[in-house]
This record gives sequence, structure tokens and C-alpha cells, in this order.
Amino acid sequence: MLLIWSLSPLIWQLYTSLSTPEALTRPLEINEFRWTFDNYKQIFQANPPFVRYLLNSLIVGLSSTILTLAIALPASYSLAKANNKVSKISKIILLASALFPYFLLFLALLEFAREMNFGNNLLALCIPYSALCMPLAVLLLTAAFKDLPNDLEEAARLEGLGLINRLRWILFPLIKPAIASTSILVFLFTWNEYPIALTWISKSELITLPVAIARIAGSSVYSVPYGAYAAATVVGALPLLLIVFIFQKRIVSGLTQGAIKG
Amino acid sequence: MTLILNSINKQINKNWIIQDLSLKVKDGECLAILGPSGCGKSTTLRLIAGLEICDSGSIFINDEDITNISPVDRKIGMVFQSYALFPHLTIYENLSLGLKIRGISKKESIRRVSSILDLLKLEHLSTRKPAALSGGQRQRVALARALLRDPSLYLLDEPMSNLDAQLRERLRPELRRLILNGNQPVIYVTHDQHEAMSMANRIAILNDGRLVQIGTPKDIYKTPASIFVASFVGRPQINLFPESAGLIKGIRPEDIFLDNKGIDFKILYTEWLGTNQLFHLDTSQGRLRMLCNADISINSDHKINWKQEKLHLFDSKTKLRINNG
Repeated sequence: MLLIWSLSPLIWQLYTSLSTPEALTRPLEINEFRWTFDNYKQIFQANPPFVRYLLNSLIVGLSSTILTLAIALPASYSLAKANNKVSKISKIILLASALFPYFLLFLALLEFAREMNFGNNLLALCIPYSALCMPLAVLLLTAAFKDLPNDLEEAARLEGLGLINRLRWILFPLIKPAIASTSILVFLFTWNEYPIALTWISKSELITLPVAIARIAGSSVYSVPYGAYAAATVVGALPLLLIVFIFQKRIVSGLTQGAIKG
Repeated sequence: MTLILNSINKQINKNWIIQDLSLKVKDGECLAILGPSGCGKSTTLRLIAGLEICDSGSIFINDEDITNISPVDRKIGMVFQSYALFPHLTIYENLSLGLKIRGISKKESIRRVSSILDLLKLEHLSTRKPAALSGGQRQRVALARALLRDPSLYLLDEPMSNLDAQLRERLRPELRRLILNGNQPVIYVTHDQHEAMSMANRIAILNDGRLVQIGTPKDIYKTPASIFVASFVGRPQINLFPESAGLIKGIRPEDIFLDNKGIDFKILYTEWLGTNQLFHLDTSQGRLRMLCNADISINSDHKINWKQEKLHLFDSKTKLRINNG
């Protein structure tokens, strides 16, 4: 039941993307030209081709993920280790900002982009993106660091591992599942994010996936090209599915088991 | 090599964890630190290891002041209660990681790790991860890691507390063979008095962060310095009589015997302990525990008695011992 609930929109999308416009408007009439790949052909042959948007989104997604992790990992480590008022207050502030509706920010962000000349720059997008993902990332990673038994790090200290070596050899490998799930969340966010991408990027060869899909949908005033629109969403969703499948094992695997004697 | 603690103090969150603790442990001596939970015994180890810094006082190894030097430079082999094996690394990697970081060549590191694996009969497990090992095997790996440090001092934090009783008995001689025969001081933290008595040359008893008594296991058992030590060490527990004239007397259950004269008693119940049996008695002096041979038979005109010199006398105010047993 749950499966039907969550899968039916996807299946409908797939069905739409593979149908001719005629078949869509008259679904009950049997038509020999019902199934077609024209929608896919159409979006891949457009100028710029759809692959370009995928690539744009990929660039933004990867750079945001890397930037987020680069800042969130050291921050979370120190938050997890420090046990004073400052760290407690910062955690509360982080939680509050994680709950803040970011939609309210995008006008201010637009001004910021104009001021800094960040318009039409794909890599610049990772600044607001990682900033928006930072609270959640820090909270997730802090929890992961906190879950690690303290003994492990102390044993590593006695073995002569300095901070960098401890992070490199002991701590990061142990919180890999948390790092993977955080990365996926950040990547998903950037992949789907619309208002900032819409306002910061205007050149058609630089726009990201959600903006591109919206453009396809709104390309004509008189009709909505459902088929092409659906094809675009299917192509846009595939990489995400792929990522989740690849990382699934990592997320699930209980890496810390066996650290503590039973 | 000698370890000296010179009146060290440690406060955590405004609570005194360790107060004015001084100890000296000589070459090849095994000192057990024994005490109830929260008495500061683990903190003492962590202070010696350098994982915590003393608020005041100083620590020396071989006349070298190590109070403020980093844990690595103290060259300490520590076995954690949880073993603290790195779960994502194989046993071989667990053991060689430290050598690699300390800049020992690959060839040399392979040689050292395999000889230690050989010594502990762990070769066949070198490619496994800690999760695939039994408790005893994990404990031996943790021991191997400590041995590989070639330390000037061993610190064992409840190394056996997570093993079952049978395994403990088997591992004790092994631990003695590997560590206690060397010429490094060994500090062995435990809450198990049998373990402390069987492994250690001397026992230090800690309570509320203070050293209450230090001495050989026999000293501690025969002449406990305070009521706390007397009732903490020795199972079944010592009998303490109600206070009279500023004195509290104590008698160990095995020092009470059946006699023709003495005081009358009524048996409340009996615990069968295999070689012994423990009688819980109701007498005119209060409830007493008496430990007797298992095959003893009691008849109605038996009374209980004890020798005066076996009594432990404590001051009821200071709770300290006043006779020199």
C-alpha cells in the first residue's frame, strides 16, 4: 500500500514521458502510435541539450557537498568534544536556524549575489547552498561524533596519533555512514533547490535542473508539453536514484559494531 | 623503572575526583588499585596516561617529570576496559597503525607485529576485524597493542571485567607471563578483590578519591586500616558489632568457630558454597555470619566463639583501626 502510494506518481511520470501527446489527451482510445521516445529525443536535442543542465546541477551539487563537509566536519568534531556553554548555545542556534524557512532569505541572498557579482556563476551557488545545509549537516555529524566511544580516540592518542591522524585513520572512517547520509541530504537539497537557482542564474546554458524543467513546462503560453516535462523529470530523478542505491549499503552497515566488547 | 605520584589532585566539574594521592610503584611490581565504582581509580589511570591533566601534584617515571608531557611521549601501554580496538581495521592494522604513525619502517613493523601475534597465538586472526573475535581474543589483541608500544609502564583498566569467570581464570596466568614478569611497573585497576589479590604484589585501596590503605594483599586482609577497608575487602563480609564505648569491633566470618563455651546462637539460614558453608546466625550480639567447613555438623549444645586476637578494633568516630592485629 505504502509502495503504491509513493511509487504511483513516479510511474505516472514514466508513463507520461513515454507517451505521445495524442495518447495523453485521449488515453482510452487505442492508438498504435501510443508509445514514443520523442519526448526524450526532444529534450536531449534542444539547445542547450538537457545533459548540460544535468552537468550544471552535478557541478553545483558536488561543490556544495564538498564545501559543506569541509566546514561541517571540523565544526562538528569540536562541538562534540567541547562541553561548555558556548557549544551548548551554538547547538541551540544551529537547531533554530535549521528550522528557519529559507524561502524568506532568497531576496536578501539575491542582493548579496548582486553585490558580490555572484550572478551567473555556478560555483558561487554552493555558498548559499552549503550555508543553508550547514545546520543540519553539523547536527547530524555532531551526533555521529558523539556516538563514538571516547576510548577509541584515547587509544589512538596513546598510539601517537595526532589530531589530523586521528581524524584521518580513526574518526572519519568510523562516521562514514553519517558522512554519506549527510552528503546525500546536501546533494538532494541542491539538486532540487529552485528559488535561489532561479534568481542567481539567468544564462540558459548555466541553469540547473529544476529551473530547466520549469522552463520546459512554461516554454509555451498556449500548451504545456507534458511529455517533454515528464521526460525531463525522469532524467533528473535517475541520478538521484543511482546515488541512493550506491550509498545505501554504506548508510546501513553498522561500522561501529565490535568496538566495545559485548 | 619506577613510577611516582606526588600528591596529585584532580577536580572535575567542581567535584574532587582525586585528592592528595601519592604512590610509588617499583620495577616489575604490580600494583592493583581497588575501590568501589566512582572512587577515582579510572581517573588515576587516566592521569598517569596523560589523558587527563592533574590540577596539582606531579608524576615521575624514572625520576623524569612527566606531569606535563603528552600521552605519546610517556610511552605507556594501556589496556582499556572496553579494549578500544579500532572496529574498522583488521587485527593486523590495529596493531601496526601506531608503528606506522611513529615512523617505524614497514619491514620492521611487519616483523614486530608478527612476533607479537605469534607470542599471543593470534596469527590466524590477523586479517579479521575485531567484531569477528571473541571477548578473550579481543582482550589479547588489546594486550598485544600495549606490548607493541614497548612501554615504560603498563596500565590495565579492568582488563578482565567483561570476560566470564572461566576465561578470567585462564587468562590470569597468561597476563602474568606477558606483563608481570617484565621489569616495568604495572598498574592494574579493578573492582574485583579476588583479581586484585591474585595478581598484585601490592594493593592500593581508594575511596572517594583518597588513598585509604596501601599494602600487600595479606596486610590489607589481616590488618585493614579502616572500617571501609575491612568491609570492602573479604567475602563473605566482615561482621561488625554495634558500637560500644567508642569502639567498633569486627570479626571475619572464618574466625568464628563452634565451641563448647561462648555465646548461644540460632541459625537463620545457610548458604552452601561448595568447600565451605556460610551460616547466618542470630545471637545476643546481633546477627553474625560464620564460615565453616562444608562437612561440619552442628548440634544443639554448640556455642560460637572466637579468639580475642582475631578481633579488629576500630575507633567509632574516625572509623580507623586502633589495634595492630
